[in-house]
Amino acid sequence: MTTSGPMLEIKDLVGGYGSVQILNGASLKVDRGQIVALLGGNGTGKSTLLKATSGLIKPWRGAIVFDGERIDGLRPDTIVRRGLVQVTQGKEAFPGMTVEENLRLGAYVVGDRAKTARALERVYSYFPVLKEKRQQLSGTLSGGQLQMVCIGRGLMSSPKMIMLDEPSAALAPQIVMEIFRTIHRITKDGMTVLMVEQNVRMALLLASYGYVIKDGVIHIEGPADKMIHDDNVRLSYLGGTVANREARL
Amino acid sequence: MSASPISAALSPTAKPGFESGSFERVTHVDFFIDLVIIGLSVGMVYALVALGISLIYSGLDIVHFAHGEIYMIGAFIGLTLFQKTGLPYVPVLLLAVILTGFIGILIERVFYRRLTSQGGGYTVAGMGMVIVGFGMSIVLQNVAFLIWGPKPFPFPVPFGRPLEVGNLALPMSYVWIVVTALVLMLVLNLVLKKTMLGLAIRAVAHNKDIAYLSGVNVPLMISAIFGIACALGAAAGVLIAPINYVQVQMGIGVLIKAFAAAIVGGFGSLPGAVLGGLMVGVTESLGAGFISGTYKDIYAFILLILVLMVKPSGILGVAAKVKA
Repeated sequence: MTTSGPMLEIKDLVGGYGSVQILNGASLKVDRGQIVALLGGNGTGKSTLLKATSGLIKPWRGAIVFDGERIDGLRPDTIVRRGLVQVTQGKEAFPGMTVEENLRLGAYVVGDRAKTARALERVYSYFPVLKEKRQQLSGTLSGGQLQMVCIGRGLMSSPKMIMLDEPSAALAPQIVMEIFRTIHRITKDGMTVLMVEQNVRMALLLASYGYVIKDGVIHIEGPADKMIHDDNVRLSYLGGTVANREARL
Repeated sequence: MSASPISAALSPTAKPGFESGSFERVTHVDFFIDLVIIGLSVGMVYALVALGISLIYSGLDIVHFAHGEIYMIGAFIGLTLFQKTGLPYVPVLLLAVILTGFIGILIERVFYRRLTSQGGGYTVAGMGMVIVGFGMSIVLQNVAFLIWGPKPFPFPVPFGRPLEVGNLALPMSYVWIVVTALVLMLVLNLVLKKTMLGLAIRAVAHNKDIAYLSGVNVPLMISAIFGIACALGAAAGVLIAPINYVQVQMGIGVLIKAFAAAIVGGFGSLPGAVLGGLMVGVTESLGAGFISGTYKDIYAFILLILVLMVKPSGILGVAAKVKA
């Protein structure tokens, strides 16, 4: 266990699905306590990068160092035990389980009642609405509440770092604001966050550093406050017309 | 030599309720109640096998065609333990259940894992899995044949006198089946609903990626699901054995009935498997008693067709899982 150096360092990651190569040598770094935004259009390899990092797919080449130790090629549950959790895209909760069961599942690796209870209380403090609905089946929740369940489930094992795949996707603007505020609060409490986003402006406002991925490699990187004014970021991200660009940003 | 439990159940020698010259007293109503009770107890056995099939389907995304043979192996292990160790019935049942569970885990790890890890359901590997299941069924029958031979064995358990309830005399062997099966189902329900293991199993059954990302050891859970399913199958085999013979071919008939039960109840649904099992058992028993015992195997499938005409997903079934 090292306490200095970056929390997560990905070096020249190559990988994909079957014989289709998606990542062509992507490298990035997430420092402790930071929110880092990973931006990019559809099909550029954002989600693939997260899946390779969380162990859902095995990277072909390259290295992933988390908290000073190599984690590439490990099983996803082992990576969760090391303290790195991914929250997937698409608000995938277990519809047949209650909100609280969904959250408890996130503490599967904890195996300690008192610790689980504390983690549960902390998640409820971040998302008070989940406490009200804790006996409700998650299949009956709204999209925003489902996203809260998914993020909450990710926090239940008290990880060192959490990776969020498009937390704002398909949500109403007020809900997006609420979720982003909570992510900010979670980071204030010491969490490190890597966030994949389509909502470029919001992500860069929240993050301290940003990466733009294109064709499976990091295309642009820099401090978030600089990137937010960088026309190249907008162009490389959208690649579309001015009107389209204005609409998105 | 009968392949189905119900024919043995309805033969006069195997049914103490009709013994000792009391036949004159038996009215139509009593006969009906008797048949329902027989149907429920045999239905419990179908339900246990169907539960295993449904568990494996929801957890591993495969339809396990060798599950009848797991039931047969379980019955033989129970019989062997009963004969060789002289232990009472309950420890024999528990030991057979545990041993068969581990045999199931071994089969899954050594033979099925390679295919299921490539994906189940409607994928090419899923099709391969169907064929491997049939192959495993033949292999297990032949292994059982080599060990125990082709003869049907009786499994005589002294259950004591029939339980007298009003005008009825319930044979204890049937009471045992119902009570034991109910206890097993209750335990399964408690494990699935109240423990972390159960939560993890349900998670794996619903979405393996999310289960993985929640920190669940998915390969281990898949073994656990398969082991539990095989343990339930073995319990069914040991429970039916005292009112039937133990023989190499006993798995085929039960597998078909259990499939009918699982489909009637809704494939993949655990409450559906139990409901379907009981419905198939009672339908079969009433049909054999009131219409004709000769065609007893037909009734389950008439029920199946009727249910599917009204509700194609089965009584408690949800819309079929869609897989790409």
